[in-house]
Amino acid sequence: MLKVDVYVVGGVCRIVLNGELDMETVAQLQEVVGKVKEHTLEVDLSGVSLVDSTGLKSLLDISNDWRQKGGQMLILRPQPEVAEVMRLVGLDRLLAQSTALDGEEKEEQDDRSRHRE
Amino acid sequence: MRRCLECAKKEPDRYCVECHYFIQPSPLRRVPSPPVRVLLEDEHGKQYPALILVLNTREFGLETAAPVPGRYVIRLQESLWVEVGGLPFKGKNNVHVFEILCVHRKQGTAPRLSKEEYQLLAGSASELVQEISRRLPEHLQDLVREKLLAEVEKSELINALKVGKVMKYEGGRFRYLSGQADLDLPMGEAEKLMRQAIRQAEHQREVIVSADGQKVFDLHCVPFDHRSGGLLAFDITEVIEKERKMHQQEVQAYREAIAAVTGGRLYLVNSEEMEKVVSEGTELAQGEVRQTHDIPEARQVMREALPGLDSRRRHAIELCLSEALANALKHAGGGWWQARQSGDTVRIIVQDRGPGIKTSELARATLMQHYSTKNSLGCGFTLMLYYADYLYLNTGPSGTTLALEFGIVPADRLKPDKDQ
Repeated sequence: MLKVDVYVVGGVCRIVLNGELDMETVAQLQEVVGKVKEHTLEVDLSGVSLVDSTGLKSLLDISNDWRQKGGQMLILRPQPEVAEVMRLVGLDRLLAQSTALDGEEKEEQDDRSRHRE
Repeated sequence: MRRCLECAKKEPDRYCVECHYFIQPSPLRRVPSPPVRVLLEDEHGKQYPALILVLNTREFGLETAAPVPGRYVIRLQESLWVEVGGLPFKGKNNVHVFEILCVHRKQGTAPRLSKEEYQLLAGSASELVQEISRRLPEHLQDLVREKLLAEVEKSELINALKVGKVMKYEGGRFRYLSGQADLDLPMGEAEKLMRQAIRQAEHQREVIVSADGQKVFDLHCVPFDHRSGGLLAFDITEVIEKERKMHQQEVQAYREAIAAVTGGRLYLVNSEEMEKVVSEGTELAQGEVRQTHDIPEARQVMREALPGLDSRRRHAIELCLSEALANALKHAGGGWWQARQSGDTVRIIVQDRGPGIKTSELARATLMQHYSTKNSLGCGFTLMLYYADYLYLNTGPSGTTLALEFGIVPADRLKPDKDQ
């Protein structure tokens, strides 16, 4: 099960995932990502309890895509277990550094964002 | 022909007692390579193993512990045995000349070996091939000789020719030409193969196991014309056995290497050992995987079967279960899983009937430390190696079984003092 929500704030697209990102649900994320036009993509994993190897590969592919297009993809707020898996396979470099600012940003965003789905 | 190197250095035809090749020199003196193994039997039935180092039609140069002088019988075949007498003054230590006193055959006796008997002991592949082709129509001889030699050489079993048998097939019958006459071939199979070779006018080769499963034969059928052909048969039982042993040794070395690089956590086990691993403890849950949707379902079942685990352990078990099921789905089209508990240990077992993991791929998957975008098996395995305490893997052409073991001591039962 995976719930995918998309918020766009200025030039930033934030995808908020809730559930499990795995072989079964990874297509849902890919479908939504395929429609994103924004330069910066943020994937919020705070509601994701599990990311399997297919999910990890998909995140890496998306990141490579964005970098190739000259953009940037960041992963926000993974749960500790998911963060450990990402560290293990070397994907922790995709984690956003600015987690402290993230909370404020989120509140602002809630006011101004236009909810796409 | 090989001559004694010692003699050749001095004077080729000189009578030499310094080396093994000391029997009467003659054009028929021959050194079989490798030496032919025989048994010497004395009048009381006591047997001594012996090696024929050199022979001609009248004498053997034998390496044996049998005392000389002394009379012995060497049984070459059921209806062929040779009486020999050891000569103490020809040879030394364990190597002596044994004179052929009498050759006993079905058809009577003789004072020396016949040409065929001699060839049986001294023969090489090319001689046997010559022997077959000599009995053919002249215009076919070269062709057949060439073909047979090529096939024999190709068979890699040229060394096994010592235990080979050559027969000619004509008008629905096999006739013995040379080689090991008592080789008990599956003639029905041989005839079937021969007919096929003649029908298709093409060399046929097949490896056949005897009806009792005790012997393995390598059969070559070469068609000569529309009704005849040649059969070469080799008993490759020993070769197969040797290969099997070598393979076992390889597997053993591989198992040890894998266990070592994974810090003793991944074990390649055989099916018997796996049987034990998957039958310990009691079943907690089980299921099937046929499509991707079955994977989250399996996680759900697992969560319900093991409530009250700390989140890190729960996550590790669910992730590993997912990876193992994904592998079964990707590489075998599906499989079965079960979870078993035995005390504070939980094992997740995933089985499939896929083509198995190739050893080369397994090495890569197991040894790879980092994520590979190209090889998701590698990544899945890396994750399982990281999270599971122990992994047991049995893989082969008829399927793969993977058992993942996790310690699940609940946090409240962990004692601060481990010595108690």
